[in-house]
This record gives sequence, structure tokens and C-alpha cells, in this order.
Amino acid sequence: MRKEHEEIFLSEYERKELLRNRIYGVLPVLAIILLICLWFAASSNPASKFPSPMSVWERYLKILEKPIKDLGLMGHIWASLKRVFIALAFAWLLGISFGILIGWNKKANALLGPIFTAFRAVPPLAWVPLVTMWFGIGEFPKVLIVFVGALMPVVVNTQAGIANVQKEYMDIGTIFHANEWQMLTEIAIPSALDAIFAGIRNSTSAGWMVVLAAEMLGGKSGVGFLIVRGMDSGDYPLCLLSMICIGVVGYLLAIVIQFLERIICPWTAKKSN
Amino acid sequence: MDSQKVKLKLEHISQSYIVKNQVFDAAVDVSMEVRDSEFLVLLGPGRCGKTILLNMIAGLEKPVDGKIYLDGEEINGSDERIGMVFQKRALMPWKTVMQNVEFGPKIKGVPKEQRREIAQKYIDLVGLQGFEKSYPDELSGGMKQRVSIARAYANNPEILLMDEPFGALDAQTRYAMEEEVQRIWQAEKRTVIFVTNNIEEALYLADRIVLLSNCPAHVKAVYDINLPRPRDTIDPEFLRLRKEISDNTDLAL
Repeated sequence: MRKEHEEIFLSEYERKELLRNRIYGVLPVLAIILLICLWFAASSNPASKFPSPMSVWERYLKILEKPIKDLGLMGHIWASLKRVFIALAFAWLLGISFGILIGWNKKANALLGPIFTAFRAVPPLAWVPLVTMWFGIGEFPKVLIVFVGALMPVVVNTQAGIANVQKEYMDIGTIFHANEWQMLTEIAIPSALDAIFAGIRNSTSAGWMVVLAAEMLGGKSGVGFLIVRGMDSGDYPLCLLSMICIGVVGYLLAIVIQFLERIICPWTAKKSN
Repeated sequence: MDSQKVKLKLEHISQSYIVKNQVFDAAVDVSMEVRDSEFLVLLGPGRCGKTILLNMIAGLEKPVDGKIYLDGEEINGSDERIGMVFQKRALMPWKTVMQNVEFGPKIKGVPKEQRREIAQKYIDLVGLQGFEKSYPDELSGGMKQRVSIARAYANNPEILLMDEPFGALDAQTRYAMEEEVQRIWQAEKRTVIFVTNNIEEALYLADRIVLLSNCPAHVKAVYDINLPRPRDTIDPEFLRLRKEISDNTDLAL
């Protein structure tokens, strides 16, 4: 239906505008092509020891035939993702709750805010020695470290969103005689949802980065493990292949989160139309 | 008729703020009476005092001095009997038109079916049927204010405060909305206190006009407007009153 209308009502100017807008679809593709050309150029000199696109492609075909530690490429990606998803589920649940608590309740913020700010400064990987000492090198400690890394952005953004609700919105609640709970659930939380989603976005990318680093420090599966494996055996195409996978998965995760935001906050999507 | 009955009474209301270590008086000794079911317009120059007076009636801020009585009883803070239409950021962007309008009844705990019915009645009254599922950002400025008016009415207030509701609209929409407000007020009689800095708007809508001075605000004059409705903006009496009030209005700086 819509398409027909567009064809009928488009003026000459609008048609040109549409053509011009097509460049925004072309530019990303162009960038990828350029990057690959650059890659070919950089690897064409044997002295550079830079794995060529062809060697990475061959490495990809090889891993399909011959799994590493019983897992194919997808298996390793899924191993990493699984850790991230479990950690994210807990980080979101706890982080949003805690963020709401210290964003809404001034006393809670005074009590817990400073400690939290101090903890925030500690990079997640700094926890590795202690966590390893306590829990060994199994699955749980990895998830725990990813959780620590993913928790911080959720808490910070949620707290900021809840604490900075526009006064105009709170006035609406006052006028309609909303009680404290209604103020929070009907006004503060919905109006903070875009801030909370910013936290969710950041925590997802943080979680994805931390899991790879955690896997590099010890483990028998995951994309991070593949990188270390490649490094140890001088298999640099494997390293590069893993890095490409990390990038692609990170990109896809961002798209999933964006999609999620559209569903949960439909008003923000309609605004941009 | 008990239309002369006093609904709301302001007694010696003063408000001041401390701005950069200096006391700034926003309102000084404002006393006035609002009659039951009347359309009262608070008219004043610039941005001084009017909104602050309205906020104090609404319970959004407390006066430094003075008392406010509703039906003879002193009120402190917000009161369910008082509703408000805001100047801007009136609607919650995360709620649809329907969800915005049913907000008051929802807060009161009215069951869903019942409050939907109430909300629908006022959505229809302001002429927005068909937009129930739209989000505020999909609506024009005039439509947003209609939603805001419907929301205030849906809570069934006895007094409706309107804070320059059409200040941000273009002239054309503004005239249309003034007619709308008059029509809605005649259909659903409530006491309305309407703030504006536009003399023509005041004369078009008001039963009585309370003219406020420039900062700090105090009551300068009260005009009874007995012109028949709907009012003719080029009627000689309308123009005479317009000039009289205009001559008596302080210049806004």
C-alpha cells in the first residue's frame, strides 16, 4: 500500500532526495570493501607477517572440518555468548533494581553511593586473581567477572535516569495526587527508560569485551580461548578470524538491543519517524 | 443560583525567592476570590507571578505567607479537587493518548474498564477520537493541549487551572483552541482559573478578569465581563474593554 502512495506522490525534488539518501546505504558497504582492500595490500608483503584474507578464509574452512577442543567456530562463539547472557541477565536484574534504589532514595544513595563509585573504578579484570582463588577456573568465575563488568554501566545509567526525572513530569504526579510508589512506577521509571537502555547497551558491549578477556586468562572454550590458542601456536590467521567474529557478534548484539528497545519503548521509535 | 458562592479564596498570599543572595518578591499580598463555576482569567504582563500563583493553588509550591481556602477550608499541598493543564511538557511521552487521559482515575484506583470509559468520554469531548493509541510525539501542539485538557477533566476536578495553555501555539491554532475551551467549559461547567498574558484571549474567555501588576504581582484591578458568548472580538464594547485593560496594564520588561 504504502509503496504505491510513495510512487504517486513523490515530487521531482523528493525523488532526488531519495536517491541522495541512498548513499547512506552505500557508504557502510564501501567502508567494508575499502577495509578489505587495505587488508589485501597490507598482507601482500610477506615481510609484514600479516595474515592475508585468503589465509583467514582457509583457516575458517579448516576449523569447520577440524574442531578445536571438540568445538567448531560456532560452538566457541556460543560458549562465549552463553557466559555473557547469563551474566547480563543477573547484571540487568540487579543493576536496574540497585540503580532505582540509589536513584530514588537519597538516603540509600548517601549510604551506598560512595562505595559504589569507588568499586566502579576497579576494572573487572582486576577481580580475576581473587575470583580465581575463591572459585577456581570453572564456568562460574568467568560469568562472575563478566557480571561485574556488565553491572556498573547499568547501575550508573539507571541511577542517573531515575535521579534526573524532569520536574514537569513529577508535577503531573503531584497534581494527580500520586503516592510515592505510583510516582516511581508511573512516572520516574518510564521516563528513565531511555537512560536505562543506554546502560543496557553499554553493559552488553562491556560484557562481550570482558568475557573475551576473561577467556584469554584461562579456559577451554570461547572466542577468547581461540585467540590465545592461535597466539600460543603461532596460528595468526586463527587470531584474526576470532577477532572478526568478535566484531561481527558485537555488531549483531547491538542490533538486537536496539530492536529490544523499539519493542519496550515504542514511543522513542515513533518520535524518530 | 449559587454562582456567586465563593469556591476558592486566596488571602494575603506572598511569595518570594532567594536569587543570587537577594530576596526576589514574586507576589505580594495577593487576595482574591474565585466564584463557583466561573471562568476567571488571571491576566498579567510578562512572566511574573501568574504561574507562581497557580502553582501555589495547585500545591506545587508553598507560599511564604498567606492562606488558600477551598470551599471555606484551608488547603495545604495538592488537592484532588484541583486539576491543572500545564503550559508545556504537559503529557507523558511514554503513555498513549488514552493512557495519559486515564492517568487521574488510574491513580485513584478506578478499575480499568471504568476508567477507559471515563477517558473515552473526554477524548471524544476534545475531538480526538481515533487518536487513542497515538503517542504525544505524534500529535501537533494543539492536539497535545487537547489531550492535556481531557486528562484534567477526566479526573473530575472541581477547579481547573490552566497555565497559559496556548502560549506555545500558533495564532490560528490558538483561536481554535480558545473556542474549544469555551465549548468544553460550557458543556462541563467547572470553575476555571486561566492564566494568560494575552488581553484578547482573556476578554474572549473570561467571566471575570483579575489584572495583575508586573513583578512583584499584586491585584491591580478586577473586571466583570458581561458580554454575551460567544464573544465578538470586534464588538465596540469588547474593543472598549480591551483598550481600558490595555491602558491599565504594566509594561512587561
